[in-house]
Amino acid sequence: MRTGAAAQHHGYYHEAVRYASDEELLAVAVPFLLGGVEAGEPTFVALGERTGGLVRSALPAGAAVEFLPGGDVYARPTAAIRSYRQLLAEQVAAGAGQIRIIGEVPPVSFGATWDWWARYESAINHAYDDFPLWSLCAYDTRITPASVLADVARTHPRFATPDGRHLPSPTWTPPTEYLRENRPIVPDPVETQPPAVELTDPTAAEARAAVRKADQGQVPVDDVEDLVVAVSEIVTNALRHGRPPVRLRVWAGDDRIVTAVSDGGDGPEDPYCGLLPASDGGPGGLGVWITYQSCNHVTWQRDDAGFTLRLTAGNPYTG
Amino acid sequence: MIDGERHTTPHDHVCWAYDDPEFLADRTARHLAASLARGERFWYITPQPTDLVAERLRALPHFAAAERRGAAAVVSLASTYSPDHVVDPAAQVAAYAAATEEALAAGHTGLSVVAEATELVRTPAQLDVFTRYEHLIDRYMRTGAFSAVCAYHRPRLGDRAVVELACMHPQTNVEGLLFRLYAVAPADGHAALTGELDMSNHELFRTALDRADLRPTDGELVLSASGLRFLDHRALAHLGEYAQRRRATAVLRTPHRATARLVDLLNLPGIRVEAAA
Repeated sequence: MRTGAAAQHHGYYHEAVRYASDEELLAVAVPFLLGGVEAGEPTFVALGERTGGLVRSALPAGAAVEFLPGGDVYARPTAAIRSYRQLLAEQVAAGAGQIRIIGEVPPVSFGATWDWWARYESAINHAYDDFPLWSLCAYDTRITPASVLADVARTHPRFATPDGRHLPSPTWTPPTEYLRENRPIVPDPVETQPPAVELTDPTAAEARAAVRKADQGQVPVDDVEDLVVAVSEIVTNALRHGRPPVRLRVWAGDDRIVTAVSDGGDGPEDPYCGLLPASDGGPGGLGVWITYQSCNHVTWQRDDAGFTLRLTAGNPYTG
Repeated sequence: MIDGERHTTPHDHVCWAYDDPEFLADRTARHLAASLARGERFWYITPQPTDLVAERLRALPHFAAAERRGAAAVVSLASTYSPDHVVDPAAQVAAYAAATEEALAAGHTGLSVVAEATELVRTPAQLDVFTRYEHLIDRYMRTGAFSAVCAYHRPRLGDRAVVELACMHPQTNVEGLLFRLYAVAPADGHAALTGELDMSNHELFRTALDRADLRPTDGELVLSASGLRFLDHRALAHLGEYAQRRRATAVLRTPHRATARLVDLLNLPGIRVEAAA
C-alpha cells in the first residue's frame, strides 16, 4: 500500500523540488521523510554533505531515515541507476509497499557534464518504474543554471512545492522523446589541440593501443584500464553496427584522456542505450552500458556527419 | 609474440609457419645445434623420404656425428604418427612419452623434435583432431623432458588453419596472432592465456577452448592470465559458460583489475577473478 501524494500512483512517482532557500528545502523534505517513517516505508536521503546535514538536523532524533552518501551514489549516472535499482529491488523483496528517497545531483555536474545527468533524470522515469518509488530530486535555484532547470522541468513529470502542493510540469517530455534529442555538448578544451592519436577504421586492438599510448601517467591506472575497455567496446560497435569510416581520436590532457569515436551511422536506436543494459536487446547495447560505467564522462552526438561518442577518463572538464 | 629467433629450451613448444622451405631448413639447423648443445636427442620428423632428408641434414655441422652416436635421427612422419595421417591424440602423446623415456635412459637430457606436420592437418577433420593433440602434447611438455617445433607450410594450409594451430602453442612466429592458449605446469593451474581477446577472435577463442578440453579439478578451472593484456565481456562470459558446462568455476588469475570490475558489473556466473602478479 502506498501513502501520501503517490498513494494512487502505480510505479515511479518522480518529482523535482526547486528551492530558493534552506527553509524551502526543509519545508518539502521534512514532511516527506517523516510521512515515510510514519507509514513504515523505507525512507532514504541521498543529498550532498551540506544539504544532507541540514535535513538531518531538522529531523527528530532517532527518526528511521537512512542517509546514503550522495557523492558516491551520484558519481556516474549509469552506476546510480544500477545501485538504486538494486536498493529498490531489495526493499520490495523485503515487503516494502513504497520507498521514499530524496536525492540531489551534485552541483559540480551542472556544467559541461550536465548532458549525461539530464539523460539520467529522463531515463529514470522508465528505469525506476518497476518499483513503488516516490522520489524527490532537489535543485537549489540559487546555484542551478537556467538551462539545467529547463531540463529538470522537462524530465520530471511534476514538482513538489514548499507549500505542500504537487504540480504537473508544463514542459514534461516523456523519456522516449527527450532521450532521442541531441543534447548540447560542451567541447572539452583539449579538443582544440591536435589529437595525440588519430586513426581511421582501426581494429579494436589498434584502438586499445592508441589509448595506452596516450597514457602518460596523468590518469590513475584503473581509469586507464577502464577507458581501454570502453574504447574497445565502442570501436567494436562502430565497426559492426555503424557506417564507415570509423574514426578514433585520442587527446592527452594534463589530468585526463579524452577519446572520440565516430562513424557515419545514426548511432543506437534504443533511447536508453548506455543508461540501461540493452533494454530491447539492441545491438551493441551492453558495450555502451559498460562504457557509461567505465568512464567519468560520456557524451553522444548525432549530426550530419554521423554519430560520435566522446569518452573521458580522469577528471572530466566540468566547464 | 614472435619467437622465431629464439632457440628452444626444454619444454618449449613452438609453432613455426613457413612459406619458404629454406626458412624451415635454416631454423632446423639452429634448433639442431641448440638441442645437441643441451645434450638432447634430436629427431627431425618429415613426410619426405628419410634417406634424402638425412643426406641433406648431414651437411649441417654435428649432425652426422650425432647420428652415429644415436643423438640425432630423421624419422618418417608415417612411422611417428598414424599411417593414415589422422592422429590419435592420446596414443601419440604416449608414443612421444615412451620415446622421451628412451632418450633419457640412453643418457640424453631429453627428446627434442622438429616435426614437419603439414600433411597431418590438410583437412578440417584432421585439423580439429590435431589441434586437440597439440594441447595434449603441450601438457605433457610441462612435465616431460620433451620439446617440439611444429612446422607448417602456410601456402598449403592457408592463414586460418595456421592461426588455429598457432594459438595452441606457447611460442610461435605467426604474426598478428592476438591470443594463445597453452598448457602450464600443474601447480600453475589448468592452462595459460596470453595476448588479447576481443570480438575479432571470439570464434577462434571458443574453438581453442573446446579443443583444449580443459578438465576441472575440485570444481575449478584455473587459468593463468598474467600475460593476458585484455579480454572483453564476451570472452569473460564465454569462459564462465565453458566452466559451468564442465560443472566448474573458471578462476582467472590476472593483474588487471578492470577484469574483476567487469565480472562484478555484469554479475557473470561461472567465473571468479583472482589478483595475479
